[in-house]
Amino acid sequence: MINKAIRRIIFVASILYGGSCLSQILPAPPVPAPLAVPVVVNEQIVDRKTVLEQASPSVLQSEQKRQHLQNTSLMNEVERDIHRQMQIMREVAKDVQALESKREVIYSLPSRAVAGAEFYHSAFNKIILDTVFSIKENNFLVENAFFGNKMDKAEFDKVIKQSADFLIAKMKELNYSLTDNSAKNFMLFQFFSETLQLKSSKQEHLPFKYDFEDYMGFESHSKLFVSKLMETGSGQCHSLPMLYLILAEEIGAEAYLALSPNHSYIRFPDQKGKWYNVELTNGMFSTESYILQSGYIKSEALQNKIYMQNLSRKELLAQHLTDLAGGYIFKFGYDEFVQAVIDKALALYPNSITANMLKANIASARFEYVMKQLGINPKDPNDLQNIRHFPKAIELLDSVNQQFDLVDNLGYEHMPEYAYQKWLQAMAGEKQKQDNENISKQLKGILAKPPKTLKD
Amino acid sequence: MKRLIVLFIYFIYTFSVFAQSQDKLYQESFETLQGMLSNERKYSFKTAVFSVENAYLNGGLDMAYLSKEIALLTNMCRSLIENRFLAYVENDKKDVNKWASAYQVMCDSIPIIIEDKQYKYVPFGYDFKDVFGNDSLENMFVSKLLHTRKGNCHSLPYLYKILCEEQGTTAHLALAPNHIYIKHQNKRNGWYNTELTSGIFPNDAWLMASGFVHIDAIKNGVYMKALNTNETIALVMMDLANAYQRTYPENDGTFLLKCADTAIKAYPNFATALILKAELNKKRIEQETDMEKAKVAFKQLEKVYAHIHEIGYRFMPEEMYINWLVSLKTERDKYENKKLSTFNKQ
Repeated sequence: MINKAIRRIIFVASILYGGSCLSQILPAPPVPAPLAVPVVVNEQIVDRKTVLEQASPSVLQSEQKRQHLQNTSLMNEVERDIHRQMQIMREVAKDVQALESKREVIYSLPSRAVAGAEFYHSAFNKIILDTVFSIKENNFLVENAFFGNKMDKAEFDKVIKQSADFLIAKMKELNYSLTDNSAKNFMLFQFFSETLQLKSSKQEHLPFKYDFEDYMGFESHSKLFVSKLMETGSGQCHSLPMLYLILAEEIGAEAYLALSPNHSYIRFPDQKGKWYNVELTNGMFSTESYILQSGYIKSEALQNKIYMQNLSRKELLAQHLTDLAGGYIFKFGYDEFVQAVIDKALALYPNSITANMLKANIASARFEYVMKQLGINPKDPNDLQNIRHFPKAIELLDSVNQQFDLVDNLGYEHMPEYAYQKWLQAMAGEKQKQDNENISKQLKGILAKPPKTLKD
Repeated sequence: MKRLIVLFIYFIYTFSVFAQSQDKLYQESFETLQGMLSNERKYSFKTAVFSVENAYLNGGLDMAYLSKEIALLTNMCRSLIENRFLAYVENDKKDVNKWASAYQVMCDSIPIIIEDKQYKYVPFGYDFKDVFGNDSLENMFVSKLLHTRKGNCHSLPYLYKILCEEQGTTAHLALAPNHIYIKHQNKRNGWYNTELTSGIFPNDAWLMASGFVHIDAIKNGVYMKALNTNETIALVMMDLANAYQRTYPENDGTFLLKCADTAIKAYPNFATALILKAELNKKRIEQETDMEKAKVAFKQLEKVYAHIHEIGYRFMPEEMYINWLVSLKTERDKYENKKLSTFNKQ
């Protein structure tokens, strides 16, 4: 979904270049027609020259007088001309006003509320009124709205419950402490990356796979969904961590979602406060240096805490809202409902990179919409200058520029798809494999120690 | 020009009245820096830096020569802007052009034609000898760089920043372990780095991969942050403390603590200043005779060190530094910011 936004940004970028040129040109006063004065002056000069050449000394005095008179009349003419010009400008302004009222330019996006949008409205209300905060419930609302409330909630809950029961049973079988956070998370990690079987019931669980096909959900938005992951056993960097968090919630494990360019992953602490990074797209423990090596994380992004940071409950809620907005945009496009959802998301998580990029996209969609009404082509820098007659349109353009600057200042840098793929695949490299083994061993070492009891 | 005159008068003043005591020069420099922090004095990076160097050299800084040199280099920047083409179209081109010209003066060989004869301008180079100023503190100085045309990660970015400010634009210094580099933000590329020791524009991954920048240090702005003016003056303040320590190795720590405290106030997560303050406190505790008091103070000191660790500071051994710096040239392909094709040397 992030990448969807990027595509738009690239598209809009060309408009922006025009926009930034415009801001330089704007302060200059408009000149409706070339001035007639200079030409006149030139003729006069030529005239006077010929007069002077022919004149005898005796006529010089009267010549000076004539010159003086001529100058005065020239100055008067210039003044009249300026006056005329001002009048023309006032008339132009009036015309614009009349044009605006006649055409009734609408400065907000038209509603896309066709059949199916109502599911999104009700899901939005439910999410923001959420008092219990459940990742499972909120995620279900997002996916169910996309399917027009046709999902089977009981069935979804049942599968989650079964998985949680499976996890608990397996932990007991393996003698993991049911109170230890690293034990719970390690069990979850195994659930995602290994084949597990319960000795008691012979029930088997296969590891989840990474689905390379349309992993950004460009063609089918539901590729990003947990329900798709549960049905097919394969998912991507959105659905896998989301299911992890849902199951962590079910078995009472502490784990967090963290973001990196085009990506999200899991972080959890052990009893001593040491943090682990779980990369679910290939079922490995990853290191911070590996994540940083993507090359698309700027220091500003870390200072502004947009990447590699545990998302709080509030921030995760904001993430659900941007997911909801993403589905809506995929189905219906940009309108003021998306703006309302994003405003709420930003109130919860002001530095959210996804929400801020969507906000930039809404602003540019709105600007394009107004340009279309005014019959101005925003990609043509000359034509774009005509928006100077429309203060509200200028305001809109400013807000587009501001929002893109904000995204830039947050330290965002676009990571191309090939770079993302390359980075993800580097995970299978020797160094990363070694790191994964070491971390797994460390964790197993912790788990192997019998938990301290009162007897000790 | 006005600023120059003020500066000049200021230095004449210092020469004549305070030359008898180097300590007074240090006090003066401190007041200059503090005045800039409290806005009582007009901010000038050049004035700040040279006040420190002059104090260390006991008033021996040849300001007339330095001013002339800097004016010459600034002029060269200006004529570069007039005479060469920069393929950059955004509306911040004016600034970008100035940065690019300062960069060229620092790092590029430029052909110069004087009376039909072509001369080649030799850029500033990197001095691999004594990069931390252990043998002679002067090796870190901008004045030394202007005299010898060889400098290090201290004097090179400092001079670059001075040249930018002389042209009426800005340049942000940024810190990495044992290192200083330049950050700019333009409309086309966002934030990007300029590395003057090698004349390359490295991406952030290069600094992150050094292995000595903890992620928390980046998050907390200990490293890799574009320093604002106050934080920059805090940095110069620590140069001053460092110089003072070299001049008076047996000092009682009062002046140093004053510098550290002022620097921390301007830049709370400034690791160097926090460490200096902690070290000074440690010395005091070691001399404390009251055991109870010493215990309490030591507990507090432990907390301070824990805080320094928490904000992400880690010690980087000096011998690692050169290897890391050189890695930029040897692994240039990996760490070069490819987007800056306008500025990159071919």
